[in-house]
Amino acid sequence: MTTPLKKLSPLCQLAAGATGRVCELRGDEDFCQRLREMGFGEAALVTKVSGSTTSLCQINGTRIALSHAAAMNIMIELLPIGPAHDRSRAPFPAPASPKLNATDRTR
Amino acid sequence: MSQLPSHITGSGKKRPAHADRTPVYALVGNPNCGKSTLFNALTGLKQKVGNYPGVTVEKKIGETYSQHGKPIKIIDLPGAYSLAARSPDEAVTRDVLLGRRSDTPQPDRILCIVDATNLERNLYLVHQILDLGRPVILVVNMMDLAESSGLQLRVDRLEQALGIPVIACEAVNGKGLVELKLAMSRSDLPLARHSWDIPVAVAPAVAELQASLTDNDGRSPLVARAEALLLLTDFDTVRVAGSTPLSARTTDILATWQKHWEGEGTDWAGTLVGSRYAAITKLCVDIVQQTGATGPTTSDKIDAIVVHPLWGWVVFGGVMTLFFLSIFTFAQGPMEWIGDQTASLANWLKATMPEGDLRSLLTDGIIGGVGTIITFLPQILILYFFIGLLENTGYMARAAFIMDRLMSRVGLNGKSFIPLLSSYACAIPGIMATRTIEDPKDRLVTILVAPLMSCSARLPVYLLMIAALLPGTTMPVLTKVGIMLLMYALGTAGAFGFAWLFKRTLLKGRPPMMIMELPPYRLPGIKDVALHMFERAGLFLRKAGTVILGISIVLWFLTTYPKHPDATAAATEQIAYSFAGRAGHAIEPVIKPLGFDWRIGIGLITSFAAREVFVSSMGVIFGAESANDDTTTLRVALQKATWPGGAPVFTTLVCFTLMVYYVFAMQCMSTVAVVKRETNGWKWPLFQIGYMTGTAWLVCFVIYQTGRALGY
Ligand SMILES: Nc1nc2c(ncn2[C@@H]2O[C@H](COP(=O)(O)OP(=O)(O)OP(=O)(O)O)[C@@H](O)[C@H]2O)c(=O)[nH]1
Ligand SMILES: [Mg+2]
Repeated sequence: MTTPLKKLSPLCQLAAGATGRVCELRGDEDFCQRLREMGFGEAALVTKVSGSTTSLCQINGTRIALSHAAAMNIMIELLPIGPAHDRSRAPFPAPASPKLNATDRTR
Repeated sequence: MSQLPSHITGSGKKRPAHADRTPVYALVGNPNCGKSTLFNALTGLKQKVGNYPGVTVEKKIGETYSQHGKPIKIIDLPGAYSLAARSPDEAVTRDVLLGRRSDTPQPDRILCIVDATNLERNLYLVHQILDLGRPVILVVNMMDLAESSGLQLRVDRLEQALGIPVIACEAVNGKGLVELKLAMSRSDLPLARHSWDIPVAVAPAVAELQASLTDNDGRSPLVARAEALLLLTDFDTVRVAGSTPLSARTTDILATWQKHWEGEGTDWAGTLVGSRYAAITKLCVDIVQQTGATGPTTSDKIDAIVVHPLWGWVVFGGVMTLFFLSIFTFAQGPMEWIGDQTASLANWLKATMPEGDLRSLLTDGIIGGVGTIITFLPQILILYFFIGLLENTGYMARAAFIMDRLMSRVGLNGKSFIPLLSSYACAIPGIMATRTIEDPKDRLVTILVAPLMSCSARLPVYLLMIAALLPGTTMPVLTKVGIMLLMYALGTAGAFGFAWLFKRTLLKGRPPMMIMELPPYRLPGIKDVALHMFERAGLFLRKAGTVILGISIVLWFLTTYPKHPDATAAATEQIAYSFAGRAGHAIEPVIKPLGFDWRIGIGLITSFAAREVFVSSMGVIFGAESANDDTTTLRVALQKATWPGGAPVFTTLVCFTLMVYYVFAMQCMSTVAVVKRETNGWKWPLFQIGYMTGTAWLVCFVIYQTGRALGY
């Protein structure tokens, strides 16, 4: 899997034991929002534990079950590393701009 | 603007100044992080605790005392992943925090509970809470689990970085409670030094909304900023805020920005989440450390079997079989013992008291009614013990996972299975538990079908009918279990069938989107299980002592008066002549096609209050008929009952039909009341009564008439 071109597949098609990186979230906006809030945002590392219709995956040390319709909307880039039992801490992408914009926070 | 909640009208500074007012703390955190456990430890109350997300679905207020003996109010809240609520239980938390609920005092201070084993995700909610500008104490719970999985947490550094009290804690063992109490007793809690940079993409929008909220909606600057951020990420805020509508200006600004981003294709909500996580990651860098390599945990090893596509089903089937088998085998002895005791009490009364109405009230009315019900206490205890085990080990969430595939066939998702499974105990907590379901249609369908799952109140009816159906005590246990399983299967199949039907017709919706966290397995705290079990048993006894006692006495009265003109008339004639008898005769035409006579009709009417009343009513009616003999068991009395022509009433076919009737019929006032409250009106509870009782009648009609035609 060293092709330079990213090959995306939905999470439900990931083989059990394989690890991938979340690249794209599709579907309803509010659902994507919740996925991101639960740590399923872009660049998060996901290890599939089992399941083809209902997926069970491991992310940041927690196990999360996703229904088929939900897992279809999560596009994954397969990573060539083995199962990550460790609590792989996926760094989140840097915010759109690191520029400070603090308001009256210091009161 | 006097109707506005206090957090809007009052500035943040006024609140802590009150030394005389009882401070109110809110317990906030992700689902299943131990809020209720901590709440119980602090207040001594007995909120339900369980090892799956979504145990608490309603706020609960308790009280504790500060280090100086001053009272402190604490509000236990449902778990939430974010203030941008997606389901009714999360909305409860959000609304209490924002002071949108009139029945709850607005919290002055917030106890944020985080799970130490998953600090980053838990901090996301904390990050949102800190924006509210309220004093916060951070409780890092489950330190024991973090330690055993090789995680090192530098709590002191977290405290430095945030500038608020951070307390390491193990709520189950009571560790860290003293430190927590000390922090809670402080009168001068600092506000967080929480520097977080709003991403540039949304900053102008936040600034503009904030200004408008301050100028046009009377918010204080800090609250205005938090609310502006929430408005950008919470898709429903505008709608839910109905009680305190936003000014037209603010709504306009929001709409303009949303349109602007839409045109640009900017994902502002995603950007906000991303920048919060970025801030958290930065914060956690030198706070969390993984020491030592970790292999698969015990939970992982158990899950390899329990959620396996094949073995998972085997385990699930095994668990269910064990469940029903234990209800029968273990309860048999205690049940007979209680039956013997009540019978000998009645016999003793008959021997010592002169014959008359008072003796009849005591033996037929009270012992006949309530005594019969109490016999079923052992089964109820076993049932709740078993459900308690499922809830506290963590299997509940696995069962939901396994069932998701099946549930999606009928248009629901696995999350709906948890309320349905709880409904095996009682539909009321089951219906409450539907608050964790995000999609309103899915939630409504789950509420509609939940009472079809055979609840514990049906157990006495099934057991009595099985006993009447199978004469002789030599019946092998397995046959009884088989019939019982058939009833449970029938109810469950009915629930799935109707869910399928409703999702296809009345309540069409989107494909089920489920995200559900599976907690690590835990050895169930015997205290949690036992507490819940005895609490439910207490409820059951209290119901027997109040509702069922009351109905039994009233029913006794209604079967005794008016007196038959001929004082020597047989008991059956007396009952037929009484008020109850007349009512029973009045509905007999409707139920005769199902093979039920007027005495069963009386039971059907009284058991509208609650299903087990059917059994106590049979106890009152048929107990009175055998008034002058020794008190025989109800089973024998039932077998002696005949139609006017002499044919037995309780034939095998009738007993079976009656059981099926109770599988489907909606016979529970409390459920109706809860459905009305949860669906905001009479429409759905009335629909539910109609469709369930209608189905019951139809199915029974078909069974009875077919049975008759086949010669049973
Ligand atoms: N090992 C360990 N387990 C804990 C600790 N605190 C709570 N638990 C367990 O965590 C599980 C969840 O506890 P609850 O108090 O029900 O969690 P909650 O936050 O109220 O959950 P919801 O009401 O669903 O949001 C239970 O099984 C507790 O026994 C702790 O400090 N250590
Ligand atoms: Mg709770």
